[in-house]
Amino acid sequence: MLKPKHFFLLPALITLAAIILFPLIFTVRVSFSSWDVFQAGLDFIGGRNYVRLFEDTRFWESLLRLSGMSFITVTLQYVLGFALALAVWKNITGGRVFRVLFLVPMMTTPVVMSVIWRTVFHESLGPANDLLSMIGIGPVPWLSSASGAFISVVIVEVWQWTPFMFLLLLAGLVSLPREPYLAAAIDGASPTRTFWQVTFPLMAPISIGAIIIRLIEASKIMDTVYVMTSGGPGTATETPSYYIYIRGLRDFQVGYSAALSLAYLVLMIITLTIIAKLLMRFLVGKDD
Amino acid sequence: MAEIALKNLGHSYFANPKSEEYYALKPVDLVWEDGKTYALLGPSGCGKTTMLNTISGLLHPSHGQLLFDGRDVTQTSTAERNIAQVFQFPVIYTTKTVRGNLSFPLECRNWDPKDIGKRVAEVSELLELDDILDLPARRLTADQKQLISLGRGLVRDDVSAVLLDEPLTVIDPQMKFSLRRKLREINRQTGITMILVTHDQSEAMSFADEVVVMNDGRVQQSGRPEQLFERPENTFVGYFIGSPPINLFNVDVRNDSLVCPALDLSDIPRGQLQPGSLQIGVRPEHLSFSDPTDNGALATVEACEDLGIDKILSLRAANGEFFKVKSRARQKIDIGRKLAISVAAKDVLVFQDGKLA
Repeated sequence: MLKPKHFFLLPALITLAAIILFPLIFTVRVSFSSWDVFQAGLDFIGGRNYVRLFEDTRFWESLLRLSGMSFITVTLQYVLGFALALAVWKNITGGRVFRVLFLVPMMTTPVVMSVIWRTVFHESLGPANDLLSMIGIGPVPWLSSASGAFISVVIVEVWQWTPFMFLLLLAGLVSLPREPYLAAAIDGASPTRTFWQVTFPLMAPISIGAIIIRLIEASKIMDTVYVMTSGGPGTATETPSYYIYIRGLRDFQVGYSAALSLAYLVLMIITLTIIAKLLMRFLVGKDD
Repeated sequence: MAEIALKNLGHSYFANPKSEEYYALKPVDLVWEDGKTYALLGPSGCGKTTMLNTISGLLHPSHGQLLFDGRDVTQTSTAERNIAQVFQFPVIYTTKTVRGNLSFPLECRNWDPKDIGKRVAEVSELLELDDILDLPARRLTADQKQLISLGRGLVRDDVSAVLLDEPLTVIDPQMKFSLRRKLREINRQTGITMILVTHDQSEAMSFADEVVVMNDGRVQQSGRPEQLFERPENTFVGYFIGSPPINLFNVDVRNDSLVCPALDLSDIPRGQLQPGSLQIGVRPEHLSFSDPTDNGALATVEACEDLGIDKILSLRAANGEFFKVKSRARQKIDIGRKLAISVAAKDVLVFQDGKLA
């Protein structure tokens, strides 16, 4: 039954439809058209964009690259973040200052930060190579070699997002119950055993949450790549979102980039769901 | 196994305690004999857990000495003391099976895997966990988890004592009963000293050979359950042990005897007692009532609670004092009815300044 009170929902519903539903449906429609810079318009070409997508090795390569990049960065972020959180958790006196300091990278605007890092990694003018030359290394082609550029992007990502892991894991550590630790002390467990048998299992749920959030964020990596390497050299640091940006907003192949976006979205949802399930099974246990 | 002795042992959470009030556990001398079951009883915040944690070594006392069989262990770590402790909430290692949980303390002590298997089999049989040894521990019920916590203490062959910190709080009433019985059985079979912390007096009384009553960081009395019931050393113990608590009545001094107007008693021997702050205490179970006669104390019924087999009567004496009677009488008792109250002379306890005279 429609009552007067339901009309008060309208503004929100209209907004929701306008900013989420309409773009999504429109993208689906566009992905079945040949809309490009020469001929803008909604014609219907069937699944031709999707066939082209399956044959586009550049797209699949970028996906593979992204998987590697996400895996490496998130793993490093998790390990470093956990280590930092453990360090600050035990020692409370100096902790506060560090907690604030650790958060600075996360709060910096991505583009500003990327510009700074691009300067740091500049081959002849940047301080990174300058410092390395003092100990007899280099010059390292940070941004002009394929592997160098990949590593640079990973370093910047880790630098920027480790604080996020740190923050979430520290919050988890602070809220852990005391009894299991007392019990472990009574059972005579060493610090290493205590970590693996008590801390790590207790932290599993929050770890999964933090890792999934970071994976979702990492799968959208774009601004760092755009500013630091523009996907180069060649396609060495090109991620799917950056590739879609090239196809859509540089080549103006609107129909094709819509198909790419949708394929990318579906793939991400499936992959992340599977990863979340696997992590749950691995860290928490089958029946949960 | 060991005799545990507290020598002037106290603990304050303040760095420089200014007076006795700053002590969570006021310095005390106490001996826990080897192989007995003890209950540490008292209201919340009375220092029970502090005492337990100082014994297990989770807390280092600020004062005094702790001796295991005469050996000073005041500053040694928990692992060296060979104490097992079970907490209020069952603690299990969630990633391990029941077997893994039980063998963990032995693995930490670098036992031979063959010996571990044998020992775990023995203990799991004792705890009746042998048919679920390979289940993941996190899937068990609360009372089974609590048995695992206990089992991790029992597998070690060098345990001096098992400390139980309100372990039955989260267990169903039905299971509580059987778990308590199991604890006693284990004590009989293994001869390991057990110290149970609780604020439930029936739990303490039914479990322990000896009950230690604490209040305000101080040990009030320790003794067998019936001693605490029949001869409480002070009014706190009288009040804390027993349900409903002991009745306290005012008394006057007349020549060489004490007179209690409420119960119409006039021949309590005075002895050397000085007048002032004298009271007598009578357990509600020790008072009996009958239909009013010409002499004897009279009281009016103000309320009557029926507890199934027992009745608890709230009564108002002729001089206005309020007290309770616990009785097995089957008859119906109306509110407002007058009853004659009597008590046997041996059941009257005299307290001066709150202490048993």
